[in-house]
Amino acid sequence: MSLERKDDYDHGAWMESKDLSPIEEVYLTALIWLDRRLRIVDYLELLEDMYYKTNLQMPKSHTEQYNLDNKFWYWYPLYALGSFSTIAYVVAAISGALLGFYYAPSTQTVGGETLRTVAYSNVLFIMGDLNFGLFLRSLHRWSAQVMTAAVFLHMLRVYFTGAYKEPRELNWIIGIVLISLTMVFGYTGYLLPWSQLSYWAGQIGVEMALSIPLIGEWVAQLVFGGFTLGEATLQRMYILHVFLLPFVVTGLIAVHIGIVWMQGIAEPH
Amino acid sequence: MSGKRTDTDDSTEPRTDDISEPEGSEARRAVRTDGGSDTRSDGGIVPQDDQAPTWSERKQRTQGLSRLTYEYFERSRREDEDLRRASDYVERDVLAFPTWPHEMIRNLAITSFFIGAMFFLAAAVPPHLPGPANANSTPAVILPDWYLYWSFGLLKLTPLNPELALLGGEKLVSDRVYGVVANLVVVSIIAMVPFLNKGAARRPVEEPGWAALGVGGVVFAFTIAALAVKNLIAATFPIGNHELFDVTFLLPLVAAFLAYAVLKTMREGYMFELNRRYFRLRPPK
Repeated sequence: MSLERKDDYDHGAWMESKDLSPIEEVYLTALIWLDRRLRIVDYLELLEDMYYKTNLQMPKSHTEQYNLDNKFWYWYPLYALGSFSTIAYVVAAISGALLGFYYAPSTQTVGGETLRTVAYSNVLFIMGDLNFGLFLRSLHRWSAQVMTAAVFLHMLRVYFTGAYKEPRELNWIIGIVLISLTMVFGYTGYLLPWSQLSYWAGQIGVEMALSIPLIGEWVAQLVFGGFTLGEATLQRMYILHVFLLPFVVTGLIAVHIGIVWMQGIAEPH
Repeated sequence: MSGKRTDTDDSTEPRTDDISEPEGSEARRAVRTDGGSDTRSDGGIVPQDDQAPTWSERKQRTQGLSRLTYEYFERSRREDEDLRRASDYVERDVLAFPTWPHEMIRNLAITSFFIGAMFFLAAAVPPHLPGPANANSTPAVILPDWYLYWSFGLLKLTPLNPELALLGGEKLVSDRVYGVVANLVVVSIIAMVPFLNKGAARRPVEEPGWAALGVGGVVFAFTIAALAVKNLIAATFPIGNHELFDVTFLLPLVAAFLAYAVLKTMREGYMFELNRRYFRLRPPK
């Protein structure tokens, strides 16, 4: 009895018995050599699995299934609204990140003038002196407007085509959270230039927060950093706008789209 | 599936290969640890002992919540399969519109066009920056962005806040609280829609009531937004504040009624086709 390991799977003998062409022989030798070291079969199995999954036959769409003769083609552009709002969100994120390089959320005054705050003069610099700054701010603002509009229209489309119905209640609710957060996104961004309109919109926000029963003062403290507007308010709006909301909204959008992916798009029958 | 099999079945079941084995195999069995039959001549590849529990059997033996989870998943998998068998859903015999390149090129074109449109808007209509914040001078017009007008309008529902005679004309909640609560009410009504309206109907004609509610809601969003900017409206149109307030609530009702009438009329001629095509395939419960 020798200590030499027996070759349980005598691939050499098996290859000899096969009567292979030179190409096949080189190929098999290389394959066996690699497989004994890397266990390629396991990965081949994965690839095979993927192949059959991607080559599944598509089911018929509803218009085909119910023989609707494509009468409802005019609905279909409305089905792009969700992806339009996502695209606008991406554009706003990129232009916003670029704007963030030139902006600081501070109500400190500059140059001895009482009203010229750091935030406001930064926005003035972006719009007046920075190369492409006016365009950048314009693009950020317009993509935000377009995103909000697309989100509202998307909600109407979902309502009037009954796409919120039975298996999709959860996504409808996530959608309501998302539309609310979109508006909060817009509101916090509206306050950042610290212009006259920003200030008084912030004033209304504080008053609204204060009129919430029971927890009003606590909410005003948390969100606006006090009962009167100031440095703390602007900084909280800034952190909400560039740090907190991006994470939350991006995550929720991913979940929202993921659920659509899993459940499929509800076409009108 | 062997869902009904119990543990005792596993252990007491006589093994079929034991019966067929010849008498002199006891010594061989003593050194055999794998338990499989080694009568094969092609190099000793032995299957796994069939006494060793499979993963699904191991799962079946677990207790408590994991056991329940397993049982539910088995049931739902079974249900899926039964439904698939019972369904007359037809799969097509050709592949669909290919994702690559057709669908991706189309998406790329639409996306580029959309981004291009935003760039054009941004270049053509640059934003206006108002004067710097000044806590000492209240501007004539205080407004949020357009998408918050509806919410802003709901804050101005003061005339609807009931005054209770019991409290001597006092209001139960202050007007400001009333406005904030109105916002919450609107949002929660929208959130409850899928729990109130169920069923397979998809088109507005199939459910004129819900479609009318939606039309009324959309019109209300616009009229309440107009109420939010009532000083601008009053400056532009010859309409008083009281009339505007009435229109805010009447116009949605009128629109909803009109939508209901139109859809109900359409329904008569429409449902026949729809029933013939659709309910024949998916009969209503």
